[in-house]
Amino acid sequence: MNLTLPRFFWSEYRKRRKRAALITFALFWGTLSILLLMAFGQGMTTQFKVAFSGLGRTLIMVYGGQTSLPFEGLPKGRPISLYPEDVDDLKDRIPEILRIAPESYSFLQVSANGKEINRTVHGTTAEFGLMRTQVPQMGGRFLNAADGAEGRKVAFIGWKVAADLFGNENPVGKAVVINRIPFTVIGVLQKKIQDSMYNGPDAEQVYLPFHAYRQIDNRRRINQIHIQPREASQSKLIEARVRTLLGRKYRFDPDDRYATSFWNTIEDAKEGQAIFKGIEIFLGIIGALTLLIGAVGVTNLMYAVAKERTKEIGVKLAIGARRRVIVGQFFLETVFVFAKGTFWGFITAFNVVHLIRLAPINYESFGIEAYLLRPEFSLRIFVAYTVVLGVLCFLSGIFPALRASRANPIESLRYE
Amino acid sequence: MIELQGITKVYRTGSQSLEALRGVSLNIGKGEFVSIMGPSGSGKSTLMNIIGCLDTPTAGEYVLDSSKVAGLTFDQLAAVRNRKIGFVFQNFNLLPYATAWENIELPMLFDGKNGRRRRERVTELLNAVGLLDWRDHRPTELSGGQQQRIALARALANDPPILLADEPTGNLDSKSGEEIMAILTELWREGRTIVMVTHNDHIAAHSERTIRLFDGQILP
Repeated sequence: MNLTLPRFFWSEYRKRRKRAALITFALFWGTLSILLLMAFGQGMTTQFKVAFSGLGRTLIMVYGGQTSLPFEGLPKGRPISLYPEDVDDLKDRIPEILRIAPESYSFLQVSANGKEINRTVHGTTAEFGLMRTQVPQMGGRFLNAADGAEGRKVAFIGWKVAADLFGNENPVGKAVVINRIPFTVIGVLQKKIQDSMYNGPDAEQVYLPFHAYRQIDNRRRINQIHIQPREASQSKLIEARVRTLLGRKYRFDPDDRYATSFWNTIEDAKEGQAIFKGIEIFLGIIGALTLLIGAVGVTNLMYAVAKERTKEIGVKLAIGARRRVIVGQFFLETVFVFAKGTFWGFITAFNVVHLIRLAPINYESFGIEAYLLRPEFSLRIFVAYTVVLGVLCFLSGIFPALRASRANPIESLRYE
Repeated sequence: MIELQGITKVYRTGSQSLEALRGVSLNIGKGEFVSIMGPSGSGKSTLMNIIGCLDTPTAGEYVLDSSKVAGLTFDQLAAVRNRKIGFVFQNFNLLPYATAWENIELPMLFDGKNGRRRRERVTELLNAVGLLDWRDHRPTELSGGQQQRIALARALANDPPILLADEPTGNLDSKSGEEIMAILTELWREGRTIVMVTHNDHIAAHSERTIRLFDGQILP
């Protein structure tokens, strides 16, 4: 391997080490900025997804309402309520539905271990747990089909309810009393981050099998129905079909937006993800602009180097150097300056992200820190960074290199 | 070997123009040793630059080794300078950060010669100029005479048939100058074509033929 040209390059580079140090720092800083900003952007997007999935995955919630349009001779202003049998009707008639569950709830007194607290108690089915990410802690479980079918008096409780009633004790197998009826705790909700909710976070809820719940709340109507489509893309179609079917059943105009209402988390997630994607791109651009400052520094340096080396270029041209030799020499130097600065930026960014991720997240408040303390790298970030870096490195090096290679040999030889 | 016909070179700076060469016609045969003399501004260096393919004429025709130079691309001219012409400059023009060895090796690197051939040739040339022991020294660690000998060795690296020397002894003491002229004379005797610019009649006396330039024209 011929080391003469790299040795020449190194000798020249060493002479400009101090000046290059500033440029190297600018590139270090630029790399650190772009990688950290993109990692924070991606981390926020991921945390948003995680937080949103705390409520549920691809979930549509259907509520009753009040008609706002007269329909088939019936006046507007009629209340529309949902009933348990609607769940079966919808499931039977809408094949796009993967899962469906009823939900009723009341604010009730819950006691155990000599302590009394007031919490929202829900009645629902096993499918609710799958849709609403009710993941139990080790040693417990969520409600299952047999709980409902056999009328078992069991309860699945949020981790805060568990803490409030049982402290550090394991509540599984112990009883909680609701409306003077004892229910055996079968599971405690695992800690999760949740930024979307109704009736407060799941950590503070109590879930009972639907039929068991009816023993403490005998209202026939239910509060809402949870639906999970087979495909997320079918959510709007399902909405329309639910409106049509319920409209036919309860005699309201399917276009009446107030007769039933929907919380379509799939559509909400799309909007949220678009916002976070926008933030991610914006942060990436800010980072790229920071790196651009370093790149401009490299271009300046290389122009200065080209000027300083005018005589040397003249000599090389006189003894037969082709243009590509001169271009290659300057390009190699640009790549080296870039590689040095960006390498350390890369290492530092990686370590900073690693350190930040060690910080614990407060699941109870899930504040801004939950979004900021989980920056993450991905292949997409590295590809984006490599592309930006490659483009900037090429642009920084090519113009000084081309100018140097187009030097007039005679004028260059005369240059002092 | 070198045929110049009606060579004119005009330098233009803004609205001003300067005719450095005015219809110069000149033939230099293979193996000739020609010196070019003339006062400052007479066009000696311009003529040398055109012969050395470092510059192109404004008008006229230049045929080098039976090939027309006009129309060659930048890289083709570079290849001609690399393989057919060796340059020796008054101020040596060695690369300051490179060792004597590396300076001599450079034209061969540009020609893509492999490492073994380069090593053999550099050793041979360093031996020929008597500086093998100085191979790892940089130009600043060498005397003027030694630097010019390294420059001569570099000029010969690709074994070019033509050697162009622009005031090769201009920056040297008389002893070093004589040593350089002895080497040039030896190279001419070996069959190389040598074209040398000088102000010094004594130096010019080493050549077979002297061409005198004045105001961009060859004096009869």
